[in-house]
Amino acid sequence: MAELGIVVDLAATSSGAELSELAQAAERAGLDLVVVAGARDEAGGDEPADELVGVDPWTVATWVAAATTRIAIGVPSSTVQGPDPSDPRIPIAAVVDKARESLALLAGDRLVHDGWVVAPAGADADQVRSLAERGSLVVVVPVGSAAEVERVAALLPERPRSTRRAAVRARRRPGIAYEEIPPSLVESAIEPGDPGYRAVRSTYIRGGSPGLVLRPRSAAEVADALAFARRHRHLPLGIRSAGHGFSGRSTNDGGLVIDVGALSTIEVLDEDARLVRVGPGATWKQVAAALEPHGWALGSGDYGGVGVGGLATAGGIGLLGRAHGLTIDHLRAVSIVLADGTQIRASSHEHPDLFWAVRGAGANFGVVTEFEFEVDEVAEVGWAQLTFVTTDLEAALLTYGEAQRQAPRDTTVFLVTGAPQQGQSVIQLYGMVDSSDPDTIIARLNPFVAIGQLAQQQVVLTSYRAVMGTAADVGLDGHHGSGEPVGRSGFLPAMTPAFAREAAAALRGGRLRWFQLRAMGGAIADVPPEETAFSYRSPELQVTALGAFHAEIDEAWEPMEAHMDGLYLSFDTSPDPDRVERAFPPAVLTRLRELKRRYDPDGLFRDNFPLLEGARA
Amino acid sequence: MTDYGHDLLFGSFITPSAAGAQQALRLSELADAEGLDLVTFQDHPYQPSFLDTWTLMTWIAARTSRVRIVPNVINLPLRPPAVLARAAASLDQLSGGRFELGLGSGAFWDAIESMGGRRLTAGQAVTALSEGIDVIRALWDTETRGGARVRGDYYSVEGAKRGPAPAHPVGIWIGAYKPKMLALTGAKGDGWLPSLDYLPEGVDTLPALNARIDAGAQEAGRPASAVRRLLNIMRAEFSATGTGFLAGPPSMWAEQLAEVTLNHGISGFILGGDDATKTQRFAAEVAPAAREIVAAARA
Repeated sequence: MAELGIVVDLAATSSGAELSELAQAAERAGLDLVVVAGARDEAGGDEPADELVGVDPWTVATWVAAATTRIAIGVPSSTVQGPDPSDPRIPIAAVVDKARESLALLAGDRLVHDGWVVAPAGADADQVRSLAERGSLVVVVPVGSAAEVERVAALLPERPRSTRRAAVRARRRPGIAYEEIPPSLVESAIEPGDPGYRAVRSTYIRGGSPGLVLRPRSAAEVADALAFARRHRHLPLGIRSAGHGFSGRSTNDGGLVIDVGALSTIEVLDEDARLVRVGPGATWKQVAAALEPHGWALGSGDYGGVGVGGLATAGGIGLLGRAHGLTIDHLRAVSIVLADGTQIRASSHEHPDLFWAVRGAGANFGVVTEFEFEVDEVAEVGWAQLTFVTTDLEAALLTYGEAQRQAPRDTTVFLVTGAPQQGQSVIQLYGMVDSSDPDTIIARLNPFVAIGQLAQQQVVLTSYRAVMGTAADVGLDGHHGSGEPVGRSGFLPAMTPAFAREAAAALRGGRLRWFQLRAMGGAIADVPPEETAFSYRSPELQVTALGAFHAEIDEAWEPMEAHMDGLYLSFDTSPDPDRVERAFPPAVLTRLRELKRRYDPDGLFRDNFPLLEGARA
Repeated sequence: MTDYGHDLLFGSFITPSAAGAQQALRLSELADAEGLDLVTFQDHPYQPSFLDTWTLMTWIAARTSRVRIVPNVINLPLRPPAVLARAAASLDQLSGGRFELGLGSGAFWDAIESMGGRRLTAGQAVTALSEGIDVIRALWDTETRGGARVRGDYYSVEGAKRGPAPAHPVGIWIGAYKPKMLALTGAKGDGWLPSLDYLPEGVDTLPALNARIDAGAQEAGRPASAVRRLLNIMRAEFSATGTGFLAGPPSMWAEQLAEVTLNHGISGFILGGDDATKTQRFAAEVAPAAREIVAAARA
């Protein structure tokens, strides 16, 4: 049985007071939707020029929202983006998005753009019922007065109250069997019309509008979620740990997201062996906080807000990398749910092929629900943040490369810079010295100071926990990234004058907005390349650049790429389907593809560098 | 002595901050209840901590009954003029004629571009603003038959449908400081809306800038009084004893503002600071006293 609402004809109701009164009457009468009709956008442009354009739908919708507290508001879908961005009739998309966000903040997320059918004015109960029986979510009846509103409200006294109101259901996306969500997940699932949607739709770096977010709380529920996903292969599928994915698209437009954020327990399995079990939804800040009381740490990336799941299945090139290796080098076993829902454990002696694949290409093989790590004893560490200015970017890159190459493995320093301004570069170094001795820390950092004029410095003796702890807690309001990141990654065998020249030229050209070098080597290079699917063990540096457009960054990146081998798949968002060939050496890719055919033959997991051709969504 | 003879308006400049949305509403309701004439809002869509100004203004218009709502000033490069004209007319209709259009040519071009707007030089932006005003006025004009036509370098409409018409003649108040913008304000504006802090010599800068607006008006064949002059004032404090311009008791503010009206023709004073007590005293103590002094002097 459908829900009921009213249509207010704006051509007949131009006064705001009258409009407010009708909407408030509908809300009082317990109706579900007020549709503002007669507001017409001109961008369609079919009507003769003599005809006048009606009022602006956005302004009217906002007005009605301000006058009411609960009722859903229906407005015709707003303007489509036209071919000409200078057309004065076309609103700017980012401003429209901001307006929507603002109204949701002020009024709750109450706007709908379709999902109703309009009954004739004065329609009686039979007419409304017959429209409802045709499957419409909401039947709306035109009204012109508060008395008419009350008449409409009395038409269907037996209206049921479903768990999700029609206004919520009206915002469902096509191609999703919402009524078939597995019972274990129904209550925690979030769909576009739900109040919690705003907090889960986007990620740290990317804006999104998924059609459904499933939030399993156990491995069994992950299997349920994957069963649902298998019935929706036509849609994008994102797996989200904490929503920092860059190449791993843990949101999408109209697809499914499986959010394993609830699987976030951290427990010590064996104190003597320093063996801990961690859920994929924990953040590295939480992991560091749990390990520190034991005198332990587990190197992750460089930011505590990142989730365990994505990083620990890709690599983990972090601030303790040279001292203690990649995050995946500490992995002893995983519990994983495969594409077909099977839950298995993989380690060096259980499904060793899969264990190999998970460490570097895990996103292709399943959803890890438990990671078992052997962590390191790490006491206090030196933590340095240094800012330099220089006019000689090339020399600075070379000096950094040389200082990092000569540094003992207790020292891992990263470099970040952007486009030079008026010929001057600002270079930030931040890094960790795994030593509790102040003199050692200073001695380790000294060679780096030659890269330019030191503008700011902070060097402290602190804990790994404190460094990870600077990440902001996300809280109930979720992430609010927007747009689509444009990034490229590559492994640099060693810093050379030729590379420094290309990188400096690319930065001066202004097409790289952000440029980072992460130091590798040390313990990372101790592990034989065949040990894990992450195979680029010998490079000294990992390079990441961010830009604004794919074509633009490719042009700047290409000359640099000639000096590099492979790429770190967490940081590369190239849309080129052949790029996976660069992510893994040929023999590794061949082996991964064989395993992919065994464990996920239909390519359910295809979101982050799909291994099988043509599978990228 | 320059006085263009407009009645005095007093208003409030309210920050559209997302975190303080309820405060913006409370300050607006206060202005409405205390008899201020205007509540005004800056428009920086690229500022992540701000709400969308249009949405907030509409929200506040629906929750108030008397005060006029004015963007101070709207960012034309991110609010294409035909969209803006229709939204403005709609808000004016819904609010019963309580909207005036503060309009600016844009600044912060990196931010504008990053949001999908078009980067213009300062000179191009003046031309674009001029064309934008033509588009807005053409769409508001529902008396003329046939589609609206404006051919510009930056904004053109070719036979666009007209309407809706605003409920009252909505004033276009322009934020202007540089010669070309001031000339445009004189030629096409209904008001001038600068901020005191941006005037190099404070109120002493007013005669020179007024003269440029007057010249622009004259050249366009309009009387200088066609352009109302307003002023945003961000720094002002009440205190028991007077220590300077807008630093003293309400009676002294009133005298000082009346003097600015009578000497420099400013007939709108908009106070910033997001401070409820200050707003209340401005409305209840300064505005009536200043009006009285100006009325007496004009008589």
